[in-house]
Amino acid sequence: MATAFLSGWPLAFAVPWVLAALALLPLLWWLLKAVPPAPRRVAFPPVRFLFGLESQRRAAQTTPWWLILLRLALAAVLIVALAQPLLHPSGQALAPGHVLIVVDDGWASAPDWPQRRRAAAGLVALAERHGRAVVLLSTAPRAGAPPAPLGPMTPDDAAGLLAALEPVPWPVARHAAALAPDSGLAAVGQVFWLADGVAADGDRDFIAALQRLGEVTAVAAAGGPAALALLEPAQQDGALALAALRAERGGERRIWVAASDADGKLLARQELTFAAGQGRAEAQLAAPARLANRIARLEIENHRGAAGVVVLDRRWQRPPVGLVAGGDIEIMQPLLSPVYFVARALEGPARPFQAPLGRIMERPPAMIVLADVARIAATERERLQSWLEAGGVLVRFAGPSFAQDSDDLVPVALRGRGRALGGGMSWSSAQRIAPFAAASPFAGLEVPPDVLIDRQVLAEPAADLAARTWARLEDGTPLITAARRGQGWLVLVHSSANTQWTNLPLSGLFAAMMERLVDLARGSGAQPGAMPLPLLQALDGFGRLAPPAPGAGTVAADAFASTMPGPATPPGLYGDDSFRQSLNLGPALAEPAPLALPPGLARMTFEGMGEIDLRPFAYGLAALLALLEFYASLGLRGALPWPGGRAATGAAALLLCALAAAGAARADDAAVPGAALEVRFAHVLTGDGRVDRTAAAGLAGLGSVLTSRTSIEPGAPQGVEIETDELALYPLLYWPIAAGQATPSPVARAKLDAYLAAGGILVIDTRDADRELEGVAGTGPNAARLPELLAGLNVPALMRVQPGHALTQAYYLLSAFPGRWDGGGVWVERHPGGLNDGVSAIMIGSNDWAAAWALGDGLQPLYPVVPGGERQREMAFRFGVNLAMYAVTGNYKADAVHMPTILERLGQ
Amino acid sequence: MTAAAARAGGRLRRTAEQLASRLPPLALARRQVAALAAAGAHGRRRVGPGETFWQFRRYRPGDAAAAIDWRASARTHRLYVRETEWAAAESVWLWVDASPSMRFASRPGLATKLERARLLAMAAAVLLVHGGESVALLGQARRPVPGRAALSRLAWRLAGGGDDGNDDGGDGGAEAAGLPAPQPLPRHARLLLVGDFLEPLENLDAVIRHFAGRGAAGHMLQVLDPAEEALPYAGRVAFAGLEGEGSFLAGRAQDLAADYAARLAAHRDELARLARASRWTFASHRSDRPALPALLALHIALAGQAA
Repeated sequence: MATAFLSGWPLAFAVPWVLAALALLPLLWWLLKAVPPAPRRVAFPPVRFLFGLESQRRAAQTTPWWLILLRLALAAVLIVALAQPLLHPSGQALAPGHVLIVVDDGWASAPDWPQRRRAAAGLVALAERHGRAVVLLSTAPRAGAPPAPLGPMTPDDAAGLLAALEPVPWPVARHAAALAPDSGLAAVGQVFWLADGVAADGDRDFIAALQRLGEVTAVAAAGGPAALALLEPAQQDGALALAALRAERGGERRIWVAASDADGKLLARQELTFAAGQGRAEAQLAAPARLANRIARLEIENHRGAAGVVVLDRRWQRPPVGLVAGGDIEIMQPLLSPVYFVARALEGPARPFQAPLGRIMERPPAMIVLADVARIAATERERLQSWLEAGGVLVRFAGPSFAQDSDDLVPVALRGRGRALGGGMSWSSAQRIAPFAAASPFAGLEVPPDVLIDRQVLAEPAADLAARTWARLEDGTPLITAARRGQGWLVLVHSSANTQWTNLPLSGLFAAMMERLVDLARGSGAQPGAMPLPLLQALDGFGRLAPPAPGAGTVAADAFASTMPGPATPPGLYGDDSFRQSLNLGPALAEPAPLALPPGLARMTFEGMGEIDLRPFAYGLAALLALLEFYASLGLRGALPWPGGRAATGAAALLLCALAAAGAARADDAAVPGAALEVRFAHVLTGDGRVDRTAAAGLAGLGSVLTSRTSIEPGAPQGVEIETDELALYPLLYWPIAAGQATPSPVARAKLDAYLAAGGILVIDTRDADRELEGVAGTGPNAARLPELLAGLNVPALMRVQPGHALTQAYYLLSAFPGRWDGGGVWVERHPGGLNDGVSAIMIGSNDWAAAWALGDGLQPLYPVVPGGERQREMAFRFGVNLAMYAVTGNYKADAVHMPTILERLGQ
Repeated sequence: MTAAAARAGGRLRRTAEQLASRLPPLALARRQVAALAAAGAHGRRRVGPGETFWQFRRYRPGDAAAAIDWRASARTHRLYVRETEWAAAESVWLWVDASPSMRFASRPGLATKLERARLLAMAAAVLLVHGGESVALLGQARRPVPGRAALSRLAWRLAGGGDDGNDDGGDGGAEAAGLPAPQPLPRHARLLLVGDFLEPLENLDAVIRHFAGRGAAGHMLQVLDPAEEALPYAGRVAFAGLEGEGSFLAGRAQDLAADYAARLAAHRDELARLARASRWTFASHRSDRPALPALLALHIALAGQAA
């Protein structure tokens, strides 16, 4: 197959002979011009009037030139598309034979994986155009097998395999690749190597093996390898010391490391800078201890790949440790305090805090240190014991008070009195600490020779005393004893925590020992030892945590430091719910170095592989042109009736909508000051136009009556949308219940609640007294919807309005509250709160008052009242007046009832 | 077919009565009552010359003494005059063009001209009958009948039902003519013609002359489709007539609109002139407009043609 180049243009055609069809375009022009479009047939009764009308514009019956041009363009684009145009064609020539594509898919290839995959796809397309078979080789080991070539296969199959290929979170094993020129590799003539750019063992042999197979072209990122590796952080002065490595040694580069918790929430970020030419960057991540304890993952931002991710387990968390100081008096001088040295020793590995034991037990930490505490109160003792059983670590130090009178919460029985070693009153000299036994948690710690114990408390000899002893003096007396209590440990240091009895707290050993104890607390007391830990969550090649694939191996708990991440032991979290340990890729990598390619090797960059197939664009353009042509033809035949008119109508409608929306917005803006400047009653817009109009007319009618009879002169009523509008401006909110009303959203309910709580009055009118059972409230159809509509609203206990209620005498003396209907009761709050000035915030009735109040233009009523009579309408208005008075004046009217009595008393 | 026609008739009547309910009953202006006596007098539900007792009224100075009803006056201390109901009757013959050209609606959802014409005729009939007049269909050998019972029969006929026992197939005949056939009518009859009147002018003129020559007063209501008025077509269109007039191919239909409108206007003006010449009224109605204004215009024309 030939590829035709246009000189000077980055454009070529894979099937150029199809372009010859462009020569047929003039023929098409003539054909299109000769055949006029078919007319549309319409029935038309007054066709008589058309007969003989002028037809001199016959020219219009031929197809207009622009339509012909459109059709020609369509045909031309189709022909070009069939010729398979290519943008930026790679001029790569292929040596004869199969094409071997070697893809590095180790950790270092993840950052530029999309470019790598695109380049590989481009190479496969190249092979396809040249009709070659493809052999694939991915260089990372998989599931125990060394990398082996796949194929030869058709380019289609290769493309499928490549699309499914993903980088793995461990290094490549190029040296192990089976590249013997036999089997499928015999016929290979051309080799493309998509290199990750990071040096590995045996690269020289690998390249030589490739060169034996055929022509080798190395394809790599133009700017060198992008791969970065993040090392495990170290605890350093209460901060995390971060370090990152890079393979490429170019100029200065800044990266950000993000720390997030187990849920992926970002906790802290720290910038690291690689100096020019340097491969290592370091910085300290300073985060508050509370946050630092939650860090579960460190990650280089904007960098894909498992090496840029470090998963942290509990080893990096500083557990809180509660300190309790005993002693007869509160010793204020820090150096004399029983817990001063303990606190200093714990500051690195833990977060010590001093508090009374009762306070500490409110939120028990992992470890509690009691220094010279003689007796523990009984209640706290119980809680302490259950905490111990659940896995707490309690470390007690002896001391003068403890030696006098200790309780029995100790690992071993103690003799009544301690002993003094050395000093002026003793023959013996101060004792040194013996080296720690292998079974002790302190095993391996160096014992400085100058650490001396002057005084201690003594353990009662017992059969299991030796087993419970973690540290002893050179003469064999136990110095530190411990006992298992449930899941936890009870540890007793038989000497003091300050320098009264020993200089141990001044030594480095003390800090190391405290750290070991904190480790004990951190591991929940579990001692994994060489226990094999199963893989819990695995990092994939892009650094995402995912459930492990079946068949993943285990790592012994003490072998993490020496385990290299690989197919059997992928990086990730190992362990179970009680104990977790992480295996990270970064620390296991040697300093990555850039790959050195031999000078003779042909090279390409990913960017140079950007060959773009223009066929989809050409077909898309053709489809667009076809659509245009379709509409133009329809338009010419008049099948798009009044195209201009319709478009204009649409545009006008849009414009109108926009104007209306703008107008509405302005109206909203204007409504708020309006309601704020005068008393306005509001009604809830129900969405039922008739109900809303009636409510508006009703409130307006009530307004006119109020204006003429009372000093309340309300403005025009306002319909409010409870979902969106501000309610606080209205003293009274009238809510007619419509059958089809939507249930208010939680937001609207919250607004209504806030409105009621802030002193608003909600009058709910179910408007269905005519459909209620005789004298039984709440049986109408709308009332049945009330529970649904008011669900979630804070409706207090209600009662029927009793004679003497403020509503019955706020302005008129009333005994009934008719509206359009009569007979429905009115329900108010049983105990109006003091918050709302003793006024019931919510009123529920069913008499359809708005319909009775609704007056037309000429102040004539809009609805008849049932059972009837203008007397009933007058009563309805009187109720409205009372309601408005009640809403606006609050309990003033209720108080005014007592005015005669008060005056009478004043008179006396 | 008969059942279908009956259903269609019922529907037509309901719609027409709904439409007519917005207007007062229509009593024709009195015109040569004596001459119409043959058709049978009927009460006009108002005071006037007649035989039937209508009401008693307090005596007013100027009333003839003979008009005083002594029997009624003797019961009280006042004088009462006996008034009779005004008895008069007029008959109206309706005709609706049911030719194929009327079965045309330029877009879906729009009523055909025929549907609109039938609705208007029926509504006018409802008004007339409620006003006490007699109504009959032109071209059917039935005398005008007063009373509401006549309405159902009329609706059924208008909706396409044929003569009793002579059912012509439900939809008003295969090829109804575009103009009423000449037919003998009583003198001074009233005619209400509803159609599109797109026939050649000379045919129309002949019909008007025929009926006007027999002393009939007429009202013509032209019902046209909006497309027939505006010619809203564009592009290459072949127009085909519905009554075998042939077809016309327009290259750019939008270019013809102005000329066409002029021709239609000329036709309509000439038709109106012909109607006026015979002291008939002429009105035009578009089928996409509300029917009520057209009915109101008919109402005014029918009620006001006394002069």
